[in-house]
Amino acid sequence: MSAYSYFPGCSLTSSAGEYDTSFRLVAGTLGIGLDEINDWNCCGASPAPHHWGGNLGVMLPARNLHIAGYGHEAMVAPCAGCYNRHKNAQHELAASAELREQTSRILREPLRYQIEILNLVELFDREISPEALAERAQGRLEGLNLATYYGCLLTRPAKIMNFDNARNPVSMKPLLRATGAQSDHFPFKSECCGSYMGLAKKEIVLRAGRRIIEVAKDLGFDAIITACPLCHQNLDLRQSQINKTYGISLEMPILYFSQVLGLALGLSADDLGIDAHMVSARKLLAKISGSAVDPASPAKSGDATEPTATLSGIGEAS
Amino acid sequence: MAIRVSTTIADGAALVADIERRSGERVSACYQCGRCTSTCAAAFAFDYPPHRIMRLLQLGQVDKVLNSRTAQLCFDCMTCSSRCPMTIDVANVIEQVKMIADEHGIRVNKEKSIRLFRRAFLKNVRRHGRLHEARLLTWINLRSFKPFNDLAVVPLILRRKKVHIVPPKIRNRREIHRIFHEVNGNGGGNGNSDRHGGGK
Repeated sequence: MSAYSYFPGCSLTSSAGEYDTSFRLVAGTLGIGLDEINDWNCCGASPAPHHWGGNLGVMLPARNLHIAGYGHEAMVAPCAGCYNRHKNAQHELAASAELREQTSRILREPLRYQIEILNLVELFDREISPEALAERAQGRLEGLNLATYYGCLLTRPAKIMNFDNARNPVSMKPLLRATGAQSDHFPFKSECCGSYMGLAKKEIVLRAGRRIIEVAKDLGFDAIITACPLCHQNLDLRQSQINKTYGISLEMPILYFSQVLGLALGLSADDLGIDAHMVSARKLLAKISGSAVDPASPAKSGDATEPTATLSGIGEAS
Repeated sequence: MAIRVSTTIADGAALVADIERRSGERVSACYQCGRCTSTCAAAFAFDYPPHRIMRLLQLGQVDKVLNSRTAQLCFDCMTCSSRCPMTIDVANVIEQVKMIADEHGIRVNKEKSIRLFRRAFLKNVRRHGRLHEARLLTWINLRSFKPFNDLAVVPLILRRKKVHIVPPKIRNRREIHRIFHEVNGNGGGNGNSDRHGGGK
């Protein structure tokens, strides 16, 4: 099996570093090869397509598609925004010879753009079957109820993304259940988190985030699972702001899909970067069967003997 | 509410036709069920919720639509589009409205911070080829005169090493400059959408 071309994107190199770490670790554990795209650039995210007639939003991703196309059949973009932008760009390039020619001129080479683009859920779905995962996970995550949260960019617009069902996506569920965890229906799974309005128009994000987290909490979920760094930022980083603004106390851990798979495979919470989140996942980790950790006593280096739930570094202590 | 008639917008019907052509959607197909509005995460901050935007377009009242905060605030999550029983891509219609408003140099003053964000973001990418989140936050806070915005989370972010101190740069920045130059036609300056004086 040849390796996948890997596009980390800007978030995964900074604010969502733990998404990158956990993804690489889990991919390595499963024997999935990743070649980072050489000298990749920002996909332009949401601002690029709104400018200059939209072509900036095509050409920035086009350069990455072109580089990724050297010797690879498929590329993976774990960030839902990057995934969305690259697929959109590919769609527009396929439709316009003029755009292809224009881009080729900039790159000074005939453009390659037809590489298959996968998101992280798609990649894992392809690389490991629920049965195989269940065998390796041995029910490690039993006792947890995990809310699957897809947000917008993985599935919409449906005609272009062509992934899962835009109204009722279900693709995370088989693998999550294979970990031994329960994953009930989460009705807010495709609601918007407020997107990039966090900096410019914070009240939109806080309001959207509150609705999503509150519903998850009312339904008794232990954590919300996402595959998007922006969703994560809006639900995790801004959760303290939500609490403060509305005078509530949510404390809902938000985990990346890759981190949950990592926990199921017996990787340590430390290595998976779970302590990099703002909302502590200590209670959740303590719930995992086989964990010898007492939730009341935080971070001690001596805890490191238990692979599924080493707690050193979690919380504010370190 | 008083109707503002913009001098730059001559013919409402022609503009509606233009919006339909660019988006590939028929606004007349909307029968005002309101499902788009009920699923919209940002409708509470809009002056016209999505279904009313559709109605105004049906009535040819384009100036209201182009001058709306809705066109500036919609962040294209496409929830409305995925729920429309007539499969109208409402988000795309609003997107085209936003583009046309930009082309006409329409500035909705209350929503300056969003333009500021978009411009700062692209400036950052143009220079380095990648986004430097810390610089983006600092720049926006200074330019919007809210220096302490989000300050409370800064130590948490620093402690978790979630930030680059030095901006990440790609090697082939020339290629990025060429892309900006090409789409922009004026050497990577501020571009069309900023031509009409967005707070320089």
